[in-house]
Amino acid sequence: MQEFTNEVIELELLPKYEEVNLNAPDPKYWKVILINIFIFFGLIATILTSLIIFIDKIRPSALYLVVGFVLIFILNFLLYRASFKKRGFTLREKDIIYKSGVIAETTSIIPLNRIQHVALDEGLFSRIYKLATLQIHTAGGSSGHMHIAGIPVEQAKAIKEALLKKLDLLAE
Amino acid sequence: MNYDFSKPQRQSISGIVIMAAHTLQHTIRALIIPLAIFVIKAQPKMLTYSAIGIGILTLVILFFSYLSYRKFTFFLDDEKQEFVINKGIFNRTLLTIQLDKIQQVNINQSLLQKIIGVYSLQIDTPGGDSNEVSIKAIDEKIAYSLKEHLLNGQKATPTEISSAENDVLQTSTPFLKLSATTLFKVGLTSNYGSSLALLAGFIYAIFHNAKELLRAFDTDNGQVEAAIKTGVSLFSVGILVAIFLGILLVINIIRTFFKYYDFEISKHRLSLLISSGLFSKKNTLLSPQKVQITTFSQNYFQKKFNLMDLNLKQAHSGEPQNEKDLTKTNLQVPGCSPTEKDELLLLILGKLPETGAVFAPNYRFLNLPIVFTVLFPMGIFYIFWFNFQQLYPYYPLTIFYFFVATLMIYISYRKHRIVVTRDLIIKRSGIWDISSEIILPHKIQSITTFQYPWHKSVDVGHVNLHTAAGIIHFKYGNYTEIKLLVNYWLYQVESGSEEWM
Repeated sequence: MQEFTNEVIELELLPKYEEVNLNAPDPKYWKVILINIFIFFGLIATILTSLIIFIDKIRPSALYLVVGFVLIFILNFLLYRASFKKRGFTLREKDIIYKSGVIAETTSIIPLNRIQHVALDEGLFSRIYKLATLQIHTAGGSSGHMHIAGIPVEQAKAIKEALLKKLDLLAE
Repeated sequence: MNYDFSKPQRQSISGIVIMAAHTLQHTIRALIIPLAIFVIKAQPKMLTYSAIGIGILTLVILFFSYLSYRKFTFFLDDEKQEFVINKGIFNRTLLTIQLDKIQQVNINQSLLQKIIGVYSLQIDTPGGDSNEVSIKAIDEKIAYSLKEHLLNGQKATPTEISSAENDVLQTSTPFLKLSATTLFKVGLTSNYGSSLALLAGFIYAIFHNAKELLRAFDTDNGQVEAAIKTGVSLFSVGILVAIFLGILLVINIIRTFFKYYDFEISKHRLSLLISSGLFSKKNTLLSPQKVQITTFSQNYFQKKFNLMDLNLKQAHSGEPQNEKDLTKTNLQVPGCSPTEKDELLLLILGKLPETGAVFAPNYRFLNLPIVFTVLFPMGIFYIFWFNFQQLYPYYPLTIFYFFVATLMIYISYRKHRIVVTRDLIIKRSGIWDISSEIILPHKIQSITTFQYPWHKSVDVGHVNLHTAAGIIHFKYGNYTEIKLLVNYWLYQVESGSEEWM
């Protein structure tokens, strides 16, 4: 009881999550995104060409389809580029912050004492570039999870270890 | 009475009957229509054979129920603080539940169980399929004793559960009790939605089954549809609607009575015991500190009757789940007075909501709903309107729709508020049922804030608070204020050492 204090909290003096410096994803991760975009659009392009070649009814509107396709492709490319530039994460003493978003700018914060478990995921293309995705799960359901992509494997492993160590400390 | 749960033990022997009846019920429910058709169409000789077949099936089910009864054992491991269930005839399953992970114990009694005089016991853990951990047949006293052990495992030693304790348990006076008149009021004023769904399902089932049966007689020439058509022409639509609403109200009242008859909440030790039910008695025991979101709501009628609806949400696995799971983790107190509500809130939150800072959304809150639910459908209607003459007389409907929908969106905007007090977060929302969701900051699992690029210049943004029982949204708020709040909540979560469950 003697140690009990109840000071007024100055909201303005609290640490500000929105002002921390973020670690950008590894530049190599952009290549992984590019590979994924090209595979996806390559598939659609193949379907589109075969439709134009084999179905007579579609052929007259081929020009519109191709123009539409190219426009969507460029838009997609630009959006991903913008979102890649926006991405970033920071590990603070008491929480982890991740900023992302294709159109909207989303910032998620998970306090370390609310983490349930941490997983490390290496995709097929990510592995080529020695990158990994760090998945942080909470009890808040799938919407409360955090997937941080494009971290160099070594760094990701180190972060995972650090988080797990913190979890152990909390459990004690 | 002192029960020793440390040694593996079986369920009550009558569990065989319960399990057999359970399986039989499922089989019959699945086969009822083909069976009915078969009975109508088959020759008498075939009927005897099939009766013998059903007899054999019942015997086989009984035999398997006996086997699974033999193979089903449970015990409490005091040292490891675990509850262990061993089950399965061919595939053996060993279930281990850590006692501190248990958030709720249900003791239920169906009609058949009431006749035999046993109870079923179910253990809820967050993220677990609760059906997995259930004991189908158990004596009342053992059930209550086991429940006490499970929920107070860490504190209670076996000797503490004495007969005196047990008597106290049964005689503890409930602090909230719903009388028949209250239930009647509740039935009149709330939960129309689920009754409507029930009625719709019922009508569909009748329609569907009537057609099936007629088809079995090879006489379906559209009589069902014709009957409905003549029905419509006989009554005017107005009378039909009135009858429909009347039926809906009656069903709602009956349903409320079935579900919440003899509804009681009593408190003992660290947990709350909630019991209700007309035919099948339902008992639920939960620890208040494991409730994640507390919601109370009130609509216009309830306000006139001075009633409130209280909903306690507990942690769930977070995966998309069905209605049944939801009702299991959500406990509803159907009708309580404001003072009873305060009493319950005090028990669950440890304090009453004080007045705090109220944050309102920006008027841009209105834009999207108006575009998508008002302008967009009306635009489509008018495209048709210009092209089809038959639609000409219906245009007043769209004007009516425009005003009603706009009014509803406006009300939802006026009611969308977040109230932040020193140690509570209250989110208000609703159009007809105005609800307040209350959470303690340390129940927050993670926070997400987001902002669209076109809202940057006007400083408007959104925040989602993820809890183990769902998400609290606050939309179109002042982003600077939101950031300030988020920093405050993070400070509360990270500086405190309170467990979220």
